[in-house]
Amino acid sequence: MSHLPSLAERLDRALDDVLGGQPAAAATAAAGLDATARPLVALGGDIHAAMPSPPVAARFEARLGARLADAAHPRAPLAWARRNPGRLIVTGAVGSAAVGVGLTALAVWRSGRRASAPAHRLLHR
Amino acid sequence: MTREMPAAVPAAGIDPDFVDVRAAQGDRAAFGALYRRYVERVYGYCFYLLGDHHDAEDATERTFLAVLGAIDGFRDEGATFRSWLFRIAHNELANSLRQRQRRRTTPLEAHPESAADADPARLFGEADEARRLREAVARLADDRRHVIVLRFVDGLSSREVGAVLGRSEGAVRVLQHRALRDLAALLARHH
Repeated sequence: MSHLPSLAERLDRALDDVLGGQPAAAATAAAGLDATARPLVALGGDIHAAMPSPPVAARFEARLGARLADAAHPRAPLAWARRNPGRLIVTGAVGSAAVGVGLTALAVWRSGRRASAPAHRLLHR
Repeated sequence: MTREMPAAVPAAGIDPDFVDVRAAQGDRAAFGALYRRYVERVYGYCFYLLGDHHDAEDATERTFLAVLGAIDGFRDEGATFRSWLFRIAHNELANSLRQRQRRRTTPLEAHPESAADADPARLFGEADEARRLREAVARLADDRRHVIVLRFVDGLSSREVGAVLGRSEGAVRVLQHRALRDLAALLARHH
């Protein structure tokens, strides 16, 4: 069974043609609409002509562009990590080793200080 | 005045923004191409729905920051990038309108500069006919106004408008038909 397009469907098709630059009369006929629908098809073209995208203030556009660039940067390491998972593991391992060495050095230094503290107090009595 | 219409979505359903979206998902620095392509259209959508230059800028800014933050999650499964983008703009518009309702404790006369900004005739300096048409669009019911602006200002297809508004393509076509009929009646009444 063939599907008969509804009036709304045919109007939509005619409006697509008008937005594509066809004259309203031709678009109306091509979509199989009768002449009574032509004013609605023409109205679609009129709206398109009467409501252009308003100009965006250059200052606003530049400011938002800069904000987006700033927002894009903190995420860059994440994108790099996704692209280089092997390097991420190596970086993580080196980082963990560095933290481990640092903590060990701190613990040795603190225990050394604690051990020398009584002698220090005795000297200053 | 001739205006560049957004590229139509090919019958095969290939998103015309596919390459740029993929580039931006891999490297956010590539988002600039999508931003430049759509900033004017998103701003236009916000401006015609909010009627105020500053509110439209705020909503546009929030839209693009949200899109940049969520672009990794975008998958072209039936919806085009631009319908996804405009859906985010649509949600930001809803937030702006809610905020505006909460703020509505001071009379509108207290914001003369907003009222001036709200008159696009000042921006475009055009004829009465176009102004009457825009005033009639502004008087439409909300859902019809969204359809008219998305379809005729931003050049989205009925299917894309449906994806933005969370409605079927058929429902959008019916809304579009009713919106045009309402507009014709409004224009005839004020002629």
